[in-house]
Amino acid sequence: MSKRAKKKTTKNPMQTAFTRFMLIVAFFVLWIGGIGARLVYLQINQHEVLRDKALNQRRDKTKEKQLRGTIYDRSDRALAMSLKVKTLYADPSEIEDVDAAATEIAKILKAKPSEIAAKIKDGKTNNKRFVVLAPKLDEETVQKINESLENKDLKKSDLPRFAGLHWKEEQKRSYPYNTLAAQVIGFSNAEDVGSAGIEQSQEQSLRGAVIKGWQDRDRLGRVYDESEEEQREPPKDVVLTISHSIQYKTEQALAEGVKKANAKSGMAIVMNPQTGEILAMANYPTFDPNRYNEFAAEFFTNRAVHDVYSPGSVFKLITYGSAINEGIINPNGEIDTTRGFIEVAGRRFNDPHATKVMGYDEAFAVSSNVAAIKTALSGGRENFYTYARKFGFGQPVGIELPAEANGIFRSPKSWYGDSLASMSIGYEISVSALQMTTAYATIANNGVRVQPHIIKEIRQDGKVLSSTEAQKVQVVTADTARYLKRMLREVVVKGTGKRAQLNGYTSAGKTGTAWKYNAKLKRVDSGKYVSSFIGMAPADNPSVVIAVVMDEPKGGARDGGQVAAPIFREIAEQILPELNVAPDANIRQDSFTAEEIPSEIEPAPTGKTEDAKNESEKPAKNEKSDKKSADSEKTKGLKETKKENKTPDKKGTKKTGAQAARLQRAFEALREQARNAADYSKADFMRRRLPFLLRANGASEPRSSQGKKLET
Amino acid sequence: MKKRNLPKKESREKIRREKDPIPWRYCLLTLICGVFLVGGFFVAARSHFASIDFGIKNSTLKKQLEDLEAEKRRLIWHKETALSPAEIKRAAKKLGLTEMTANNFQTFGSKIEEKKEKPLTVKNAPEKPKQLVEKTVDVKPVEKIGKNGVSKTEATTAKKEVREKSSTKAAK
Repeated sequence: MSKRAKKKTTKNPMQTAFTRFMLIVAFFVLWIGGIGARLVYLQINQHEVLRDKALNQRRDKTKEKQLRGTIYDRSDRALAMSLKVKTLYADPSEIEDVDAAATEIAKILKAKPSEIAAKIKDGKTNNKRFVVLAPKLDEETVQKINESLENKDLKKSDLPRFAGLHWKEEQKRSYPYNTLAAQVIGFSNAEDVGSAGIEQSQEQSLRGAVIKGWQDRDRLGRVYDESEEEQREPPKDVVLTISHSIQYKTEQALAEGVKKANAKSGMAIVMNPQTGEILAMANYPTFDPNRYNEFAAEFFTNRAVHDVYSPGSVFKLITYGSAINEGIINPNGEIDTTRGFIEVAGRRFNDPHATKVMGYDEAFAVSSNVAAIKTALSGGRENFYTYARKFGFGQPVGIELPAEANGIFRSPKSWYGDSLASMSIGYEISVSALQMTTAYATIANNGVRVQPHIIKEIRQDGKVLSSTEAQKVQVVTADTARYLKRMLREVVVKGTGKRAQLNGYTSAGKTGTAWKYNAKLKRVDSGKYVSSFIGMAPADNPSVVIAVVMDEPKGGARDGGQVAAPIFREIAEQILPELNVAPDANIRQDSFTAEEIPSEIEPAPTGKTEDAKNESEKPAKNEKSDKKSADSEKTKGLKETKKENKTPDKKGTKKTGAQAARLQRAFEALREQARNAADYSKADFMRRRLPFLLRANGASEPRSSQGKKLET
Repeated sequence: MKKRNLPKKESREKIRREKDPIPWRYCLLTLICGVFLVGGFFVAARSHFASIDFGIKNSTLKKQLEDLEAEKRRLIWHKETALSPAEIKRAAKKLGLTEMTANNFQTFGSKIEEKKEKPLTVKNAPEKPKQLVEKTVDVKPVEKIGKNGVSKTEATTAKKEVREKSSTKAAK
């Protein structure tokens, strides 16, 4: 036993040390193994949960909406742009003394403390963390609030340094030019979604993308790391063809004209016939897109593309155009209108102007219904329909604006016996102002129809992504267009559109006055008109086509020549110098009186009232009243009945029809010679010679009421 | 018995010195490694905090850039508002300028005609042109001689003198 004990006591110390060492090693191995096992468990099994927990502590998820694209005019002036604004909100969970805070906030925001306190308390009870106190404030106001709510003792990384208050960045759409081109640009609503005009039609391009991302913040709330899930793209900008200056002048002239004529509304379009670019598109009354909430929805409508109306006499251009282009009529020839009326399918169309044999130029200048109807009848239905379609009627023009109207233009199969006659003078057809402008631009552009457009290009970060290329179609020959331009010129020189004569420039155009259709009466209302003038300048090589349409003028003057032509003149005289168009005439403009214009065209019949004069451009009324009611039922509101016009008193005329026609032809031939003379001196000579020749023919020199010479 | 395993007669100290020397190289190496390790930790910590610091600065700059861009937009907006035709018109009216309308708009031709007809006002009159012909001899205008052989100017001055003398006498 003792030996054994001795053996025990005499244990090898090295062995002991080794054993102890191994125990310690084992302990450490177990310890590290345990830690490792725990780590493996945490890192692998609990990875997602713990990672989310850690991220929640320091990471904020962000959702930023990029600024909406800018809308520019053709000279890069911003018509609509988005600005960064800030919304002041409260996090009720961070506010301890609600009443004290509310009093202080209310003092700064100039609001009632009780209201603010109620908002915060409501948020607190409903566990809301976002209570809006002041929405969409501009930077100046934000800075003022930050300064006023500064609490230096508070440790807070963001502004304002006031417990529980924060700023949220938002954007606000702004229109620096206020009402300028409001219907064209449109507006975007509170959610920054385009709701009208270009804002609506180009929503895809203009819309700012929503960028999702995250931000890591330290304990003081400072951002030390951030990233975005998607690549940030700059917003796309839309460049329009309109010029802010031309648009302003057009709007001013239109507003004045509408007020002067006491009209319900008005619209005007300025178009470049060569390129199809819309330089201005104005509507009156208008609205301010910055305060769109304050206006009724009817103000937002762009009537120039959305509304349709019976064009009246301006449509005669299509009638003559189709006949001349097909060689059905000779533009230098004459037409017999001596009867003063025409009967088509049992309907009688009277014409106070047409009581003689006259040239087509003159018939067009005095807006003769009989001449237009005869011309259309000689061409036939198919010819008329084909050309009207070629000019773009009954189909959308294809402009980049929302809610464009097709117009109403039925196929010949559904026409009535007198439909062709009615259509030839601009009834039984509905068009938009833009369609009509495009048709006139086709003639101005030597018969080539260029698709009108209002978007010039789309840009991104200054680079052009796409630009508009207009489609071109030859509708009538260049010769036909030249004849038609000459006819349009005659309207301004000696016809119904004398008020469209320009100072320094030659102009051409056509007046139109149509009765409006009354849906309640299911027929046209003789008290309501749509008066229009569509013209171009300079006459020989037009740089602009301007259309002016007035809805329901209620003053004494109601026809297109009296109401719309002066607006055309006002617009053209102001914009032509701006477009660097060289003056091609040197005329001192005389102011015509209302009585003077009809007398220049044709002496006013004795005892003719103002109303009767205004009716001069209207279609004749059907004499057969029983048939009229049947027709109105047939057309279901589209077909318009005509009011009978009194035939003029021939005794009251200054000259007989034949003599007047002869003199006009002589006058015309000399004018044409003067116009075609390449050498200025020759033209000047002709101009001087003309009065002498007229005197020799027994005619007096054309003079205005002031005794000044008229343009020759 | 012969003890085979007996060590040779060598001093213990010598043996110790040979077998257990102080491993300076290893110590140094360990120290260097330790220094590297600690240094590494320091560098890592420093770069970590620096990255955080740079991150904070970066986000601050980014925020500043965004603020500046927003400010630029605001300034553009102010410029556009100030340059809008309505504002220009208002400013022009304040300055007393009149609007160009069809009534006061004139063509080139008519302008030229008016210029010819309209006499120049004193304000607009140009300075007198320099005399092209230099005077070489003093020239006096020829005076007309009356019937009594006295020139007209001399006669008028004599008359004036007589009138002045008579008026002074009357006063006395």
